[in-house]
Amino acid sequence: MPRIVAVIPAYNEATRIAGVIRDALQHVEQVIVVVDGATDGTANVSRAAGAIVIEHFENCGAGAATMTGIEAARAFGADIVITLDADGQHDPHDIPAVLAPLLSNSADIVFANRFGPLRGKSRNKIPAIRRLFNGIGNIVTFATTGRWVRDSQCGFKAFGPKALAEVDLKMDGFEFCTEIVRESAQRKWRLAEVPTKVMYSEYTMAKGQSFAHGIQTALKILLRSFLR
Amino acid sequence: MSLTPYQIIAPFVSLIAILYAWNLVFRQKKSVWEAILWTLFWGSIAYLALKPDSIDYLTAASGIQDRENAVVVTFLGILFFMVFYIVIRLEELSQRQTRMIRKMGLREAGLEKENTVEKS
Repeated sequence: MPRIVAVIPAYNEATRIAGVIRDALQHVEQVIVVVDGATDGTANVSRAAGAIVIEHFENCGAGAATMTGIEAARAFGADIVITLDADGQHDPHDIPAVLAPLLSNSADIVFANRFGPLRGKSRNKIPAIRRLFNGIGNIVTFATTGRWVRDSQCGFKAFGPKALAEVDLKMDGFEFCTEIVRESAQRKWRLAEVPTKVMYSEYTMAKGQSFAHGIQTALKILLRSFLR
Repeated sequence: MSLTPYQIIAPFVSLIAILYAWNLVFRQKKSVWEAILWTLFWGSIAYLALKPDSIDYLTAASGIQDRENAVVVTFLGILFFMVFYIVIRLEELSQRQTRMIRKMGLREAGLEKENTVEKS
């Protein structure tokens, strides 16, 4: 059996993260939480819930925390890494579906797709503003990488052995989602997309990127693609 | 056809930039897609230098009516480009800081590369 590890980057998620860890542990061997300069006890809550905790003493960003978690998972001997958001917007019970293309060796990386039809043809109720931001994110990602991913900005992903060995994220902030698509195109990873549930609440909406931050992220991505 | 020094230098710089981009592709540091974007960008600069009349339709909107103005605008563009190059360099310093924080975090958790867990 492959060793499957979940990586959860977290910043001030003490009220939410315990449930995410407990649900994830039903489907993976270990959960690694990267506490990214949090000040609210996220680390203690995560340890109590059964996760391995790695702490950044300064806030470095979601991309930096994800890469730290991936390096920790490699050191732990993981064969497959699955990444989840800490705010509970992803349902850990979708983990088996996201892992399936990796376990059948039909993909090297799996992107969750919050916009695709779920079982029974139902769809997630996603606020219009989120759909718009994600659409812009997808277009910018395509313009810079040449690879179309239907939900490129989703934090719910799974890396198979090849992708896990090769991935090397350099971007610290939310741009890392686009960087992963770029890596997948450049390193010729086989890609799969799996529809998953998403649970938006006032809490998760408040935690999301602002429009100004989204524009800044898009500019950074475009410039990086030129200057790299 | 007489060429101004600018019309010789700009295509020459563009050619070097394009060759540099494709060199990075062959060294697997840049993707083909990025090199295509880079080629289009520098190719259009070279084309505009050689054929400044090709953007006549823009004169009404931009106010650029002669070659001198086009040169000023081009150099403003290059300055803009340089500022962002510095921004990227600053970002690289920030990445170095991130790597330090990451190493410290992994060391504290006992998950540095040399402490890898043996697979059963």
